[in-house]
Amino acid sequence: MPDALLGTLAAAAPATTAILLAAMGGLINRQGGIVNIGLEPLMLVGAFMAVVVSAQSGNPFLGLLAAVVAGGLLGLLFSWSITRLGANEIVAGLGLNLLVLGFFGYLLPVAFKIEGTLLPAGLVGLPKVNIPLLGQIPGLGPIVSGHDIVTYLSWLSVPLVSVFLYRTPLGIQLRATGANEEAARAAGVATLRLRDFSTVVAGAFSGLAGAQLSLGVVTLFNKQMTGGRGFIALAAFYFGDARPAMTALGAVIFGVFEAAGFRLGSSGIPSQLVQMLPYLVVVISLTLVAVRRDSRVRQRARAALASVAAAKVG
Amino acid sequence: MSQVTAEAGIPVAGQETVVATQELRLLRPFQLAGPFLIALLVGAIVLLASGRDALGTYWLLVQQSLGGTTQIANTLVAATPVLLTGLATAVAFRSGIFNVGVEGSLYVGAFTAAWAGFTLTQLPGPLLIVTAVALAGLMGAVWALIPAILRAQWRVDEVVTTLMLNYVAILLTSWLVNYFFLAPDIANSMSPLVAHQARLGPLLPSSQLTVAFIVALLITVLYAFLFKRASIGYELRMTGLNPRFARAVGINLARAIIVAFLISGLLGGIAGGFQILGVNYRFIDHFSPGYGFTGIAVALLGRGHPIGIVLSALFFGALSSGGAMIQLFSDIPLDLVNILQGTVMIFAVIELSRLPFVRRWVRRA
Repeated sequence: MPDALLGTLAAAAPATTAILLAAMGGLINRQGGIVNIGLEPLMLVGAFMAVVVSAQSGNPFLGLLAAVVAGGLLGLLFSWSITRLGANEIVAGLGLNLLVLGFFGYLLPVAFKIEGTLLPAGLVGLPKVNIPLLGQIPGLGPIVSGHDIVTYLSWLSVPLVSVFLYRTPLGIQLRATGANEEAARAAGVATLRLRDFSTVVAGAFSGLAGAQLSLGVVTLFNKQMTGGRGFIALAAFYFGDARPAMTALGAVIFGVFEAAGFRLGSSGIPSQLVQMLPYLVVVISLTLVAVRRDSRVRQRARAALASVAAAKVG
Repeated sequence: MSQVTAEAGIPVAGQETVVATQELRLLRPFQLAGPFLIALLVGAIVLLASGRDALGTYWLLVQQSLGGTTQIANTLVAATPVLLTGLATAVAFRSGIFNVGVEGSLYVGAFTAAWAGFTLTQLPGPLLIVTAVALAGLMGAVWALIPAILRAQWRVDEVVTTLMLNYVAILLTSWLVNYFFLAPDIANSMSPLVAHQARLGPLLPSSQLTVAFIVALLITVLYAFLFKRASIGYELRMTGLNPRFARAVGINLARAIIVAFLISGLLGGIAGGFQILGVNYRFIDHFSPGYGFTGIAVALLGRGHPIGIVLSALFFGALSSGGAMIQLFSDIPLDLVNILQGTVMIFAVIELSRLPFVRRWVRRA
């Protein structure tokens, strides 16, 4: 393999982490029946809490914990507005985007006296962890080793989410809730609580994703730092039809796009066109899924008609 | 998904589906004014928590948005794009189409109007203006046709496609302006200025209040007529209220979906076109502060009613014009406006009657 590609992949690994984690959270939420377009603000809250707590305590792992808790709590409030107070998830999600962005835009200059970047004294980023043996493989080593701990966690989250959704009673109940809430409730599933749980998980995952951006990729906070990754994560789990393996693949593809985007920019391919790709991929893959479903329905209708006709003749 | 939202009567169907029980009649004023009041309360809490004078700030906001001819003119200028995007959103929502892609149509329309304005420079003023706005509306509608066909033909969820296509439109216009239509005298991100005769003249001296606001009001009248009298409006409304019933009485759902999307995109495109010809005079990469998304808040806060939409557009116009002045005169950032707007959106869709303390209050009354 050419070195340029290996280099891009090594850079793509940490660039994928936040997208992958938020996508896994959004996927669980989607399986529970809620389309969460608030992943972006949930990430931003995580990124902020991670920086503040890490700077205060000098311990980046406490920062991660704070980000998870903050993301989960905001996720719970968001979920209540949908499950208990009947809010439309899309409008509430757009509102959350505006509210959180506005909140940080207000908070940074007023409370921290800064316009752009928050870089508190004593802020400690996440250490890089080398994996023994694996890290020494030439070419492959820098791709699989030498990242922050959240990146490894994000890889681990894919099989864990898969096992949770398909092999545990709670996961199966969650999927049942998402597929048909009334039927699930009739079968004795606590659907509202499960949907809230799935949003809390989405919030916690997104919070952790944000913390990886503000303590892993860089060591600072500003209100633009999520840069649309929450929406790319949305694109990833739509691309993957809310299934863990395909969603992870989507997140990796989009992460590679992002890492490659910087390099392509200097090679003459417009960065706007590279950035556009995830969004276009979602529209195209949703269309392909729908066309296939549609033709299957038509085939079945044709078959049913044929059998009715045959029965009449018979 | 759109079907679910339509059946839940989300955005605006409320006035038609709500059964007027005693309880709901009591709640109605609260449900209408609630989001507005709660947003002001949240804003006040944020201001107080950061050691600012909340009442004083709001009073300054009122003065700077309504306290004089210039201030009122600025408010109307700021209200114009969000009135149009609010109407664009409301047309779709009332037809049961969850189009959150008005921002995309606005970008495409704005770019088209700017292109017409600096390319067709040999045309005389009025003709050039009409051409530019018409092309802007046309391209906005064409942009909305993509999710429309996907939804009508294959039932592709329009929430996701329109949300994604917003980013595509923003990046597409950014690419066009940066790679093909860069102003020669400027380093980046801006197209050349539109011809002088393409710029809308001010109605009041030293303001940017133009005929665009009047046209937006006229379009509001057309919107009211569409849903009150026109037969296509009836079909759209029925499609929004109950798609199954609409199909049963012989309404062509696919056609209704496409018409609703086209009108929505047309208005979004016109909003973008007017913003270029009346305010910016050139296309600027990433120029919109989210006019399309504010339009969603406007449509929801106005409950789809024409007068409600005008009032909420004026409210958001006042917030952004007054907020911009406050940012100049004090150390309070314009982002306060985003906090208010986000709160309005969330509480506009929350059913306040389900809040425990509201329930208790209704029972007592």
